[in-house]
Amino acid sequence: MDILIPDSWLREYLDTKAKPKEIQKYLSLCGPSVERINKGKTGPLYSIEVTTNRVDSASIYGIAREAATILPRFKVPASLINQSFEKITGENTAPLEVKILPKLVNRAIAVVLDIENTQTPSWMKNRLEDVGMRSLGPLVDITNYVMIEIGHPTHIFDYDRVKTNKIIFRESKKGERLTTLDGKTHVLPGNDIVIDDGTGKIIDLPGIMGTENSVVTPETKRVIFFVDNIHSATLRKTSMSLAIRTQSSAVNEKGIDPELGMTAILKGVQLYKKLCNAKVASKVHDIYPTPYKPKKIEVALEFICQRLGIQIPAKEIIEIMESLGFGVNESRVTSHKLLSVEIPSFRSNDISIPEDIVEEVARIYGYHNLPSLTLDGPLPPQQEISPFEFEYKAKLSLKGLGGVEVYTSSLVSQVEIRNSRLKSALKLKNPLGSNSVSLRTSLLPSLVSAVFENTREENPFFLFEMANIYLPRRGDLPEEKMTLAGVFSKNFDYRRAKGIVEAFLKEAKVYKELEQVGTFGYSENEHFLYFEFDTKKLQDSASMSSPYIPTPKYPPQVEDLTLIIQPRTLIGQIIEKIKSSNPHISSVELIDAYENTRTIRTYYQNPEKTLTNSEVEKIRGKILNTAKKFGAKVKD
Amino acid sequence: MEQTLHNLKNQALAQIISAESLEELKNIRVSYLGRKGQINKVTEELKNLGTDERKALGRLLNDTKQALEDALTNRIQELTHAKRQEWLDPTVPGIEPERGHLHLVTQAIEEISRIFEKIGFTRVRYPEVEWDWFAFESLNMPKEHPARDEWETFFVDAPENKKWGKIVLTPHTSSGQVREMMRLKKPPIRMINIAKCYRRQSDVTHNPMFHQFEGLVVDKGINITHLKGTIDHFAKSFYGPTAISRIRPFHFMFTEPSFEVDFSCIHCNGKGCRFCKSGWHEVGGAGMVQPNVLKAGGIDPKEYSGFAFGWGVERAQLLKPGIELDDIRTLYSTDLRYLKQF
Repeated sequence: MDILIPDSWLREYLDTKAKPKEIQKYLSLCGPSVERINKGKTGPLYSIEVTTNRVDSASIYGIAREAATILPRFKVPASLINQSFEKITGENTAPLEVKILPKLVNRAIAVVLDIENTQTPSWMKNRLEDVGMRSLGPLVDITNYVMIEIGHPTHIFDYDRVKTNKIIFRESKKGERLTTLDGKTHVLPGNDIVIDDGTGKIIDLPGIMGTENSVVTPETKRVIFFVDNIHSATLRKTSMSLAIRTQSSAVNEKGIDPELGMTAILKGVQLYKKLCNAKVASKVHDIYPTPYKPKKIEVALEFICQRLGIQIPAKEIIEIMESLGFGVNESRVTSHKLLSVEIPSFRSNDISIPEDIVEEVARIYGYHNLPSLTLDGPLPPQQEISPFEFEYKAKLSLKGLGGVEVYTSSLVSQVEIRNSRLKSALKLKNPLGSNSVSLRTSLLPSLVSAVFENTREENPFFLFEMANIYLPRRGDLPEEKMTLAGVFSKNFDYRRAKGIVEAFLKEAKVYKELEQVGTFGYSENEHFLYFEFDTKKLQDSASMSSPYIPTPKYPPQVEDLTLIIQPRTLIGQIIEKIKSSNPHISSVELIDAYENTRTIRTYYQNPEKTLTNSEVEKIRGKILNTAKKFGAKVKD
Repeated sequence: MEQTLHNLKNQALAQIISAESLEELKNIRVSYLGRKGQINKVTEELKNLGTDERKALGRLLNDTKQALEDALTNRIQELTHAKRQEWLDPTVPGIEPERGHLHLVTQAIEEISRIFEKIGFTRVRYPEVEWDWFAFESLNMPKEHPARDEWETFFVDAPENKKWGKIVLTPHTSSGQVREMMRLKKPPIRMINIAKCYRRQSDVTHNPMFHQFEGLVVDKGINITHLKGTIDHFAKSFYGPTAISRIRPFHFMFTEPSFEVDFSCIHCNGKGCRFCKSGWHEVGGAGMVQPNVLKAGGIDPKEYSGFAFGWGVERAQLLKPGIELDDIRTLYSTDLRYLKQF
């Protein structure tokens, strides 16, 4: 949660000569992170990120308290200024009844004030504007001002519009309606905390937003100024289900210190008196059924030092904790020093285990003051089979063969799923757009789109990707299959493409036929040449090392034969047959293909000796026989 | 006949030596060594000889052929070499072979893996489509907890599991923490988990699909100084020996204490410049593993402690000097003009 804190306002609670830059630097190292210092209407303006567990520091007062602890650690004198407030006294002329539900309301404080509706002074307007709030007249402005300064939201009703003089907290019934002060009507889900005027009419959605029927108007003469501290989880549920997100609800749902409530009331009354000539017209109704009793955590001194990794004397730890408002009692159990830490009300939500105490000591001591050590100790056992090295080498091989790697989104449109071989895919409940609804079951459609995106490219190219595809399984997580796929541009020569895939298999040390470990061919839909491998299967098929074949001692006899073939003859089959027709044919290559002629080069080789002409003659005879079976004959 | 061969050989050698073009050499080869060449003619007469004689002459015949082949090869080389010496324009642009390219994210992931493998981390992989329990609940984030709002999570339209809850797209690699504890059953744990993650966000600093790397170390006596040392090792290995790291207070439900991790800016060496403003870059979160997370993974927090960190691969890579992208989504472009730069 990002908050804005004007420097001049901060200094009303913080007595220090520190420069804004120093405050930024030191706070960021040990406390809330000061992201930027901007120039506001009132001077330097800090933009501060307060973490969700530290709502206690999301105010002028809260930041001042942190700064007063942190700055002196850097030898910059600073102290917290505690403001003193006048006791609230006045005639009790305005009757008011306040009733709460103890399980839902921690505390409620209310007081009636006679007021004059005046103008907001410019100093207040400027401060509110600096922290991002619009001035709406002094009655409302003061409630916002108090929230920013003290950290507890406050509210006002028009006393005369609440005709019954009653404020009764109750749970809502399902389907009850209310109109918030922005004019929107909401239907309540039920069991929400609402304020009733005793007649069944809802006059407030406390902690979230006021309602139209109780809000102050320019005619308002008397107000009920009040604070409510309510059950944060219930409030959050209401705020989420009605989708009303206000600054007040954001703060309230994180759980605010009820002890702050009275300070907020005192500060508010002080301001109403000053700006609106307020006169107190009722007693202060303060309903606080279970006031805060300090929690205690026991933590061994040794535990703190162990987690920090260094020894810090007990004295310094106690000093740190006390400077943060914690009470500490030291005791000794046998040889161990035990600290009993008493948690102040404003930290009661966030401190609950010894590790929390470690954090407080460590951050104030300064993480920057801790050494950096290399890990020692034993290593965990190795994984039996790790896929990562194989996968990376596969990518490297394809790169070496001229491939360009892409990363495309795993989330695809319904159309892309229809274009996949596997038509059923998992869908998202809350997709970001119609082109990213489903989890893909094939890489092909995404790769084809990627090729289409590069139509300007004139030279042949091919793209590849390695990513999971997600195959649905009933009642379980999908099967995540790491897949390696590639698509060739339309002008890529078939033989070259096939050669790349074959060479890739050799690089991967997979000495199997392509069809056994993957697919290569034209895609059904757009007729693109593509290949696809299941990387796990590929890795399982890979050899540890390439097989060694001794280099032949005797030179081969090489012969080119040009065959005239029948239309639609599969040359691959002819070559295969020729190869297997005699053990002394070491290799057969296709070196030229033109219309119905195919020139093949045959290597005759016997590892034991040089083949004689007559031996070669014999083998050649077998070749010609084989060719004949396919209806091919040798061109003279 | 022996004499004839000698004469042929000498005659051929003389011609080869004085040949002035490759064309001429080709003709000499055909004339002497071709199928109907002069040497073959001599061969034909072999069959009229006695065995011993034939053997001796056969050997001579082979030697002669070999001698001519060698001479031809030499002369061809001489001629080609002489040609090169004629005149060379060294400024003529080279012709590059078609190069392939690995994606920037792959390069980053590889580098990150190696950096951590060097200090004993085992790389692992866990589901990218995961149960809510691993993504949130086991990480000390109960259902409806406001802390979950920070993760803009995608939910899969599938029935809920009684034990594990909904199916989500992992919004972070931290989902692998408890999985790794369950795999190893007991410490020591030293894992690095690099994977795709998904969040429901798309703007100049967010792509709905991105990558994170997560470190998790659990053992006896693991403390903050170990985390600092590990982070520092990464900073120096990834950004160079002058890089330094620091940790600052932060808050996550699954670590206590929690930290924000900063690396000094590589552009200005931490002095402050237009890239970093303050001299530092935030890279992500870290912390000491929360006891409830250890418990969820079946590890006794009284006996063991640990640290964890999880950072964006893209963010870490883009902090390196030289790559300035205004929009992180550009990283996932499939435009060859972009892809071929890396």
